[in-house]
Amino acid sequence: MKVIVSRSGGMAGIRLTWEVRVEEQPDPATWADFLNSLPWDDVTDSEAAPDRFAYRIRCAPHEVVLGETQVNGPWRDLVNRVRAANGM
Amino acid sequence: MDTPHPGPDLHPHCTIVPPYLLVRLAKLDDPRFAQAAAAARESLLRDSQIRQLRGGEHPFTYSGARTLPARTPGESDRTISDAGGQERLPGRRVRAEGQPAGSDPAVNEAYDSLGATQALFWTQFGRDSIDGLGLPMDATVHYGKQYDNAFWDGERMVFGDGDGQVFNRFTISPSVIGHELTHGVTQFTANLQYEGQSGALNESISDVFGALVEQHTRGQSSAEASWLIGDGLFTDQVEGVALRSMKAPGTAYNDDVLGKDPQPGSMADYIETDDDNGGVHLNSGIPNRAFYLVADALGGNAWERPGRIWYNTLTGTGLGRESDFAAFAAATAATAAQLHGIGGAAHNAVLQAWVTVGVMTGRE
Ligand SMILES: [Zn+2]
Repeated sequence: MKVIVSRSGGMAGIRLTWEVRVEEQPDPATWADFLNSLPWDDVTDSEAAPDRFAYRIRCAPHEVVLGETQVNGPWRDLVNRVRAANGM
Repeated sequence: MDTPHPGPDLHPHCTIVPPYLLVRLAKLDDPRFAQAAAAARESLLRDSQIRQLRGGEHPFTYSGARTLPARTPGESDRTISDAGGQERLPGRRVRAEGQPAGSDPAVNEAYDSLGATQALFWTQFGRDSIDGLGLPMDATVHYGKQYDNAFWDGERMVFGDGDGQVFNRFTISPSVIGHELTHGVTQFTANLQYEGQSGALNESISDVFGALVEQHTRGQSSAEASWLIGDGLFTDQVEGVALRSMKAPGTAYNDDVLGKDPQPGSMADYIETDDDNGGVHLNSGIPNRAFYLVADALGGNAWERPGRIWYNTLTGTGLGRESDFAAFAAATAATAAQLHGIGGAAHNAVLQAWVTVGVMTGRE
């Protein structure tokens, strides 16, 4: 099981991707529970806004695209955790 | 939200409410202000009709407003706020128009570059601020923690400090500040949809006027200019000179961590992608290079003939919200012909530029 967060856009237009393989984490069960708890099916389309980041989050079979202003609550938590696991 | 409360005298026929306040009121969702918001929308509509009738004059001075001092058209009205590392807007107000520079470089840079952007638009194109009606320029610095971005949120410009490893603070580059403010100008004019080719045009227009802000401030001719966007934004640890090169898209950086600058410089390399609203920051390289080619062909100062052709196209009637590259190319050619004559140097330079980047075939 893996989760991939890719951030595109922003004023710089530079695409960055962070990936976490759940099995390789010190706490895989916590990761799996957290990923399963995310509101994957509740994501609505966001309106494009100049120079804001766009996040594409993939965790098979799920894939969502979130505008920067939608990355709140558990999604923000997810992005922070994935980035932290990648050391940035 | 620090929305000003509409007074009882707010009325559709009242002309003393400054347009920026009308914009804020018109956006209000709070049912308590529904009537005022409706009135403001009506007033805005009417003002824009007046503006069209007057054909680009500067009808507003705020001499009648009680809440604002008299304002001379073309004078900047800047307010810089400090978000203090939070992601809340607007943050604490730290410098208003006319106040002296302080010790915070981000505040000073934002203030100075907003002034430089106002100077370009006003002195070269006769445009008074973002909306053409003297809209106050509001900016927030120190937004978020190590935030690697700058953006225009529909009302203000917002700048992050960067992470310090890849990015410096985003106020460091006047072209970035000019870029953000131009998103506001586009919003009030062609309002190009931020998706696909119209989105890439929206991005390119911000780069064009961002670059012109720098060139105009520095007094650089087209030949002397770097044509870089975001010069100085990368730290020393990055292999790269800037975010983008208008002269040579795809050459601004080539770095272990960031990869290679992916911008195409012609339609042959156009990028189809679902990311970045359809690659708006990538495919903007194509119209960016077209502008550079026009400036290079005509020589002299790029904010003069080339800038005027792009400005008149942006603010004229030839563009729609969903205009694509071909429509924009045709509109710039028509503007060049209108300003400088069919078959003149400017018209030919514009046509040739769009052919070189593969948007026109040469048979138009
Ligand atoms: Zn932009």
